[in-house]
Amino acid sequence: MSHYDMIVVGAGPAGLSAAVQAASHGLRVAVFDENARPGGQLFKQIHKFFGSKEHMAKTRGFNIGTALLQEARDTGVTVVLDAVAVGLYPNREVVVRAGGAVRHYKADAVVVAAGASENTVAFEGWTLPGVMGAGAAQTMMNINRVRPGKRVLMLGSGNVGLVVGFQLLQAGCELVAVADAAPRIGGYGVHAAKLARCGVPFYLSHTILRAEGTGRVTGVVISELDAQWRPKSGSEKHFDADTICLAVGLSPMNQLLRMAGCAVRENGDVLCYPFGETSVSGIYAAGDAAGIEEASSAMIGGRLAAIGAAHRLGYLDAQTLAAEQARLEGMLQSLRQGMFAPQNRGKAAQSTDEGCPLSSSLLGQGYLRDDEIANYPGCKQAKGVHPVIECTQNIPCNPCQDVCPKGCIRVGANIVALPVVDKTATCTGCGLCVAACPGQAVFLVDEDAEPGFALVTLPYEFLPIPKAGDKGTALGRGGQPVCPAEVVRCKSASAYDRTSLLTIRVPKEMGMRARFWKGGAA
Amino acid sequence: MNNTADVIIIGAGVIGSATAYYLTRKGHSVIVLEKSPFLGDGGSSRNGGGVRQSGRDPRELPLAMYGVKHLWPGLSEELGMDVEYCQSGNLRLGKTEEHLAILRGLTDRAAACGLGVSMIDAAQARTICPYLSEEVIGASWCPTDGHANPMLVTLAYYRKARANGARFITGQRVQAIQKVRGQARRVVCGDETFEGDTIVLAAGYGSRAIAAGLGIDLPMNTLLMEVLVTEEQPPMFSQMLGTAMADFYGHQSKHGSFVFGGSSGFEAHNRDDGRPVNHSITAPCICRGVMGYFPALAGTKIVRTWAGWLDEMADHIPAIGPVAEVPGLLVGCGFSGHGFGIAPAVGTVLADLAAGDTPPLEVSAFRYDRFKAKL
Amino acid sequence: MSATDWNDRICTLGPFEPAPGDGFIVCRCVEITQGDVRRAVHDGMFTLHEVRRLLRCGMGLCQGQICGRLVRGIVAKELGVSPTALEEVTARAPMRPVEMRVFGSEEAGA
Repeated sequence: MSHYDMIVVGAGPAGLSAAVQAASHGLRVAVFDENARPGGQLFKQIHKFFGSKEHMAKTRGFNIGTALLQEARDTGVTVVLDAVAVGLYPNREVVVRAGGAVRHYKADAVVVAAGASENTVAFEGWTLPGVMGAGAAQTMMNINRVRPGKRVLMLGSGNVGLVVGFQLLQAGCELVAVADAAPRIGGYGVHAAKLARCGVPFYLSHTILRAEGTGRVTGVVISELDAQWRPKSGSEKHFDADTICLAVGLSPMNQLLRMAGCAVRENGDVLCYPFGETSVSGIYAAGDAAGIEEASSAMIGGRLAAIGAAHRLGYLDAQTLAAEQARLEGMLQSLRQGMFAPQNRGKAAQSTDEGCPLSSSLLGQGYLRDDEIANYPGCKQAKGVHPVIECTQNIPCNPCQDVCPKGCIRVGANIVALPVVDKTATCTGCGLCVAACPGQAVFLVDEDAEPGFALVTLPYEFLPIPKAGDKGTALGRGGQPVCPAEVVRCKSASAYDRTSLLTIRVPKEMGMRARFWKGGAA
Repeated sequence: MNNTADVIIIGAGVIGSATAYYLTRKGHSVIVLEKSPFLGDGGSSRNGGGVRQSGRDPRELPLAMYGVKHLWPGLSEELGMDVEYCQSGNLRLGKTEEHLAILRGLTDRAAACGLGVSMIDAAQARTICPYLSEEVIGASWCPTDGHANPMLVTLAYYRKARANGARFITGQRVQAIQKVRGQARRVVCGDETFEGDTIVLAAGYGSRAIAAGLGIDLPMNTLLMEVLVTEEQPPMFSQMLGTAMADFYGHQSKHGSFVFGGSSGFEAHNRDDGRPVNHSITAPCICRGVMGYFPALAGTKIVRTWAGWLDEMADHIPAIGPVAEVPGLLVGCGFSGHGFGIAPAVGTVLADLAAGDTPPLEVSAFRYDRFKAKL
Repeated sequence: MSATDWNDRICTLGPFEPAPGDGFIVCRCVEITQGDVRRAVHDGMFTLHEVRRLLRCGMGLCQGQICGRLVRGIVAKELGVSPTALEEVTARAPMRPVEMRVFGSEEAGA
């Protein structure tokens, strides 16, 4: 029987964070993960994270994963891969399957950070090949470099559906629609807007009636739902599609915890006390295994579990514990605010904290109407080049403020506040804000660059990268062609972290309407 | 709601549910009280499914033989649910001369009681089950033994009894049986009280505490036994399997999973946290036991393991029948890990006794007060 | 209206009426349909434990990882209760299927 101070199950964001934090306090730590590669979902998160600097905002998930792995090596954490924790037995014994045998390990603290599994829904044909979880599609694309299909319908407009939907576009798939049974888009408006300006239609209050095909998916039929969530006859819509992605929520992988006898709450999540400690002494839950949230909070949750265990095991004095706890819980609190915070789930807010009306168009079609833009403090007319920040919901994020060298953008201490553009500051057009925004919601507009023309700089994450002089079409927020547009330049810089800054020339009156660009004629 | 019935049964396991069914078939009203929120949550759903006669204590053998002859064959039809009864024999395997000596002893005792069981050699055993390891040198063979699906049998009895009008109440923990004018009559559960002309106590190990309230001791302990279940495999063999050394026992179920029970040897001393928990060393031990006899199963995957308490009586056979000091009370508990196969017969007997009818079998060997000091 | 006490199994849902979607497979491992689950509830299986024991849904290779929520939703809808009002089902080792050969070979941890 091998013994560690702490055993962590799961080498994802929560588990690795727990491990490195614990190791930094002197604990001997082993991490087991069933996958061949560490990082959990981080290495398929090719998008930039939200939050603030302390949450590693504007960093892409896989870069966060790489940094965490380096930290694990530096702190001497033992990471064992291809190692399935098959059971969590009495006396904090973890039995691990590795290779052709099982091994018995014990630890004074066990952190279960096993992540989540994807939910599914049953409809006619849902067992056909071609129906898959959105996370599975993401793994195929971003880990295995396999395109899941050519024409995809996404069910679910939460952040997973929206983010994966965009990545499907990046991978060269056609996204025929995003459907959701709910009447409002569930994820961040900025994520929806990325899809809408590429022309992806949203069907709210819709669900899948059936997947068509024999042997594999060849089509899908969706239907509108009435107030009792029943399909409205006559509202059926058919799409040719070879892939249906389901992004209908996640469930904690808390089986090990329940096997160990950890009490559960009424909603089925494991009951967690401060530091993620469960009802079974010495056993902790962190990340999605403790309750579905997202990677940024999972990483903090992992660190909290680690300091709790470190204190319990005598590696951390009470004073340091209290200070660290306050710091980490503060970080967590700053993420758990705004209209998407756990405590606000299910509440249909009508306006932002600032009193700006929420756009019903954004919630229903995925984009802001042109006449709504002026309602938000990030969208102000100004002379010369200036940022236009189409960030209209209270989400925890402030890189735009952090990166601006001129102080043009202010979010303030409360990171869910809407960014405000300071007209008195001088924008140099450096574009750092455009590249930094994880929601790709910042644009540079210069309506005075050339007589009769405006230059619009937009974030661009598609291949091939356009070249100066390329002719094409500017698309509006809803993906509709608005005018011909020529590429003025497309800048890539290491500071932009793989987001290109595409500057297009459009007629002046299109400066506040053109938000995407497509090569070729409309 | 009327809390009075002809018979109040405590425990909705296979014994209580079977008794309830046979009583409703006779036209009696029945209330069944179950402390768990789930039916059959004790040993009734947590057992290896053996419907064996061989290897039984001679006192139990008549019940086992009666069930196999009269009850099991028609049970699925009678209850309107396929309970996956499969009567294709029991092989008890031996690898050494010592093993064969043990098997011979068991076989001789059972044969003396009239059971058709015999010793067979390795070739005969391999004819019956071609997957046996080369190390097997002989076996005992009882062709009339078999197995059924324990998860279904209890629910099938429940379903049919309920359809016949029996009232089952789960999550109803019995605190006490009370006498009225010298006769067991009242069953107290918190705020609720139930009354019956006869009370049947079939609550597994829980029967001990309830009986103690009446001044009756049923000398039982619990033992935590563990079982593993494999992925589904094509049909390989249909016999019930055991070994002379009791390394493991089990069978392949109708849907293709193998169900193998066994022990690590520490069952009497294992700790638990109030739940029937698996222990980390047991499943590996069962695997080694199985592979020692069936090497072909080495690549078969285990999908789940589970544990369950058995209620072990001091002399390893149950207490069944009336209690002299408590007229109106019948007990049926302490089945010591082999109650499933005899449950239909025991249910029949308890229903007859509760109804005042003469049961088909005499059960005085199972008197609750049979325990005497060794000298 | 007070919630039905489904512990008293005298409660009945009435006869089973076929419904749209009854043919959908919900448990892929054991091939159990929505109709199978609904029928079991009508047959007096008022808990997930009983439905699982009767039908074996959730007890195949995936151990309910895929169908667990679906089955819970169907049973809850039949009983007219919230899915969270139904009990947790037991989580059991092994968390992933393990070959007998592997489970049977125990090595010292490293």
